[in-house]
Amino acid sequence: MTYLSMQGITKYYPGVVANNAVTFEVEQGEIHALVGENGAGKSTLMKILYGLEQPDAGQIAFDGQQVSIPNPYAAIRMGIGMVHQHFQLIPSLTVGENIALGFETRKGLFVDQKTVNERVQALSQQYGLAVDPTQRVADLSVGIRQRVEILKMLYRDARLLILDEPSAVLTPQEVDTLFDVIQNLVQQGCTAIFITHKLREVMAICQRATILRRGEVVGTLKVAETTPTEIARMMVGSDVDTVQLTSESHPGPLQLQLENVSAEDDRRLPVLKGINLSIHGGEIVGLAGVEGNGQHELLEVLIGLRKLRAGTITIGDTNVTAFDGRKRREHGLALIPEDRNHEGLSNDLTIWENMAVTRYYRAPQSQGSVMRIGRLKDAARDLMKRFDVRATSHDTVVGTLSGGNAQKVVIARELADTPRALIAAQPTRGLDIGAARFVHEQLVDLRNQGVGILLISADLDELLAVCDRLVVLFEGRIVGSLRRQDATREQLGLLMAGRTTEQAGVVS
Amino acid sequence: MEFLDLIVNVSASTLRLATPLILVAMAGLLSYQVGLINIALEGLMLIGAFVAVVLGVAAGSAWTGVLLAAIAGAIGGAFFALFVTDLRADLIVAGLAMNFLALGGTAYLLQILFNVQGSYTPADFASLPVLDIPGLSDMPFLGKLLFRHSPLVYVSWIIIPLTAIFLYRTVPGIHIRAVGEDPEAARTVGISVRGMQYLALVLGGLLCGLAGAHLSVGDLALFRENMTDGRGFIALAAVYFAAGRPRLAALACLLFGFFEALQFRLQTTSNIPTQFFQMMPYLMVVIMLVAISVRKEWQKG
Amino acid sequence: MKQLQEVARILVTLALALIIGGIIMQLSGKDALNAYQVLWNSAVGTDRAIADTLLKATPLIFTGLATMVAFKAGIFNVGVEGSLYMGAFAAAWVGFTFIDLPGLALITLAFLVGGLAGGLWGAIPGYFKAWFKVDEVVTTIMLNYVAILFTEYLVLGPFFVPGMSNAMSAEVALQAQLPRIISRSQWNPSFFIAIGTFFVVLFMMRRMTLGYEVNVLGTNATFARWAGIPVRRLIVLVMFISGFIGGLAGAGQVLGVHYRFVAGFSRGLGFDGIVVALLGRNSPIGVLLAALFFGALRSGAATMEMFVRIPRDLIDIVQALIIFFIAIDIGFGWLRRRRQAPTEPSEPVAVAPAGD
Repeated sequence: MTYLSMQGITKYYPGVVANNAVTFEVEQGEIHALVGENGAGKSTLMKILYGLEQPDAGQIAFDGQQVSIPNPYAAIRMGIGMVHQHFQLIPSLTVGENIALGFETRKGLFVDQKTVNERVQALSQQYGLAVDPTQRVADLSVGIRQRVEILKMLYRDARLLILDEPSAVLTPQEVDTLFDVIQNLVQQGCTAIFITHKLREVMAICQRATILRRGEVVGTLKVAETTPTEIARMMVGSDVDTVQLTSESHPGPLQLQLENVSAEDDRRLPVLKGINLSIHGGEIVGLAGVEGNGQHELLEVLIGLRKLRAGTITIGDTNVTAFDGRKRREHGLALIPEDRNHEGLSNDLTIWENMAVTRYYRAPQSQGSVMRIGRLKDAARDLMKRFDVRATSHDTVVGTLSGGNAQKVVIARELADTPRALIAAQPTRGLDIGAARFVHEQLVDLRNQGVGILLISADLDELLAVCDRLVVLFEGRIVGSLRRQDATREQLGLLMAGRTTEQAGVVS
Repeated sequence: MEFLDLIVNVSASTLRLATPLILVAMAGLLSYQVGLINIALEGLMLIGAFVAVVLGVAAGSAWTGVLLAAIAGAIGGAFFALFVTDLRADLIVAGLAMNFLALGGTAYLLQILFNVQGSYTPADFASLPVLDIPGLSDMPFLGKLLFRHSPLVYVSWIIIPLTAIFLYRTVPGIHIRAVGEDPEAARTVGISVRGMQYLALVLGGLLCGLAGAHLSVGDLALFRENMTDGRGFIALAAVYFAAGRPRLAALACLLFGFFEALQFRLQTTSNIPTQFFQMMPYLMVVIMLVAISVRKEWQKG
Repeated sequence: MKQLQEVARILVTLALALIIGGIIMQLSGKDALNAYQVLWNSAVGTDRAIADTLLKATPLIFTGLATMVAFKAGIFNVGVEGSLYMGAFAAAWVGFTFIDLPGLALITLAFLVGGLAGGLWGAIPGYFKAWFKVDEVVTTIMLNYVAILFTEYLVLGPFFVPGMSNAMSAEVALQAQLPRIISRSQWNPSFFIAIGTFFVVLFMMRRMTLGYEVNVLGTNATFARWAGIPVRRLIVLVMFISGFIGGLAGAGQVLGVHYRFVAGFSRGLGFDGIVVALLGRNSPIGVLLAALFFGALRSGAATMEMFVRIPRDLIDIVQALIIFFIAIDIGFGWLRRRRQAPTEPSEPVAVAPAGD
């Protein structure tokens, strides 16, 4: 019997269709994988199910009844629970207090913590989720915190659990434990939706898998009757429509080199694990990978905002490992950050002010500590012409520009003095087709001028269209390196989903 | 013998002077735990002091004054909450405005109502009576130290564990702490963030009103312009020093009260400036905050 | 067009506050129109009135600018009051110590040392914020009290003057006492130093690399970091400058008004600076005008109290109303972004479409 049925779910965001007539059905007692690349629409679909978002069209039936889910509270009361990647726990409260939060057993004004804790103990035994209800959450490891999250949902009588990339935050040992827990839950009558992009996990514990791509369902498969290759192919689509924009490359001297680069994330866990990467002049190297595998930290490392644990970074012949961002830029590094509104621009400042930020302090744009604003404005005007930034004047506030024009401001600034090496992260995200093409042309132009380019993108089409070489980042490691002409979407999809080079059948 | 008397005297006045600090600190604690920096404590306390004496005189009873001061404080707290939650005002700016309003408003009304400037001492009006705890107040030394105080002194002692129990054992208290630490997470389990902010600020206002009442009708019956004299900020210092823990905050208030008592004592007997000691607690707060942050940054690497 | 809107907003804010103030006066049985007329006359009606207005405006120009510089960088510096005390004492100390220096040299030195003391005092919480991410609001509030008590301790302890009944220092040398410009008013040349500071700040914000960096940092700190601006150093420097201007305020009061350091003399001039910066919409010219406005209110209020028997505290109420209005004004986007109390959003939080 169909336990959950989501029919024709459509959700629009400004400019994007996040879910297009998605139909998603889950049977009682199964572990159902929801698979797809970044931006495929998995999270949107689950947010709708959990009441965090409202669909623009479509119906949901749960446990034989048509339902509407206005907020998470309503979802919880229906028996739908979600374990987020970012835990919704209050660190200074105890495990018991967290689990019961909002659903406390009361004795007048007081929380009957004794009853609560007894129930937590019982649940924890029933499902094999060992926790101590009196411990403070702040003192627990990530793995145990996740257990608390799961218990929190069980305490609220959740029968359908949504697990949002639950393994992303765990160590391999913790992942194994988690799988045991999930299987145990299902044996006891729960149903689980497992969001992931790791094929190993799909194969290991799921019965069925629904694959989303660009907001639409590609298919629902029985895991036992399929192969990782088939799922990967469905995730990334077929090879038909990519046109390579570049001609044969003639790599020049080494422009940017990373040797054995390792770094930790904010929680002091290793996030980059010995990255080796060489980018020569006149080539575009594409870095593929599902987001959250270390891309952001790699960018921070490159621009000097995150400390290296080990390794060296070289620009041209200069070892820049010890340099700050400004000095690296002076040695010929340019960077288009992934989030232009936060990292790439100040939306409250004008175009010329945004364009000046990499050179305002140097002669001839300034004399001592006094800026020559006329020169900076002139330069901005020239750049606007060169890069086709459409705005009334250089005094226009950047926040009023369209996404494409705003990105052109970033690109104009970074490419103004031709760099040795350019790092472009998601440079076409949120842009329309025309603006995206403009960006691609600029990248190819620059490559033909002998600049070394690292293109970080979650979009395989983009990578296959403009890159000469492709590498795949998975869990902080470079797991594959292929020439463009040897690369297929299928191979890339498998590598991005955690298969090894041999499994992906790469010859290189 | 004289020395022992001195100790008893200083200790007794420490307890007396710490009383408004403790009450306001518990108010600040509620704000702290719900995640709001409340600099309006000072103004709310001043309103309480004013209301206690003025309405107390009107009603002919200091007790009525105390009650109305608490209510006025709670209303003031709700008013402040309205700004910081529904009207989305900046916390610090709105707090500043509250303080200016209380300072200017009480001084203005003082002149309009009683035609006096600076301070108002009502004639024929008795402050709260000293409450001797029968049987205990006659004990040697301890009796005078602990059991011969104005009633609100005892109230402040009770408020400390009450605040702790409220915050750590009751449903609304735990919800207040949850909101203060992670409003998003609290929201997803159905807790009203706005409701908890109101609750914390209104209860805090009530305590501020009581604290103000202690100043104006607790021992002597009089109101002076700006008679709170920065006590709201001292209490805030105690809260941050204690990182939101009730007992530790109360202890810090006792320490502040002791410095104040010492200052009165030394002022009358010698020329040693006590300001150097008085500023220590504030300095300690800064050092504490830096130490906590350094540790956090270090853990992050 | 946008600037016009800004001006209109400020005028509406002021008008509303004054109207409510008028209603309060009427309710207390006074003639509000008459009162405002008296206030106006006694603020700008005579030479002496204007001089008094400028006198009252002087410290507000300093503290307003000091607060503004920090606000511009997105730093909520509540500590100008503390810098003011440190600067005031340092200036007084120079004034009563180096009594052999000629007037101009002594005055210059006193202002410089005053500024330096205030600047270093401001740089302390700046350093904590920049390197350890310690929130500046609480630390600067606490350091205000440290400064107030510390300076009081200095005049009662190490710099105690026998025979002095109140907590105050010795008088500064005669040649360091700024002369009164017109009779019967304490208006003095420190006003022109404030105006000079205004022009320096204006130049810094509009023309200097430092002002540009402050604008970038204040509008988007993440961007500033990614663009390679040395953000930590900048935060400390901004706090130093903010404190320096606060110190000048203190020095001006000591050399121009009191001629000595008096413990607790400021009574919130530093906090008034926050109000001035907010009302002045965080722009140098706005701050100057707002300081003059409050100066006029303050000096007019004293006369109003005398002649129509309306307590001058009415001005505090009007000031409070103005701040309340500013606090809820939507125009202050940066303020809102920074420290909005977490409340329920009226609509679901928008999710970036690409972020799956």
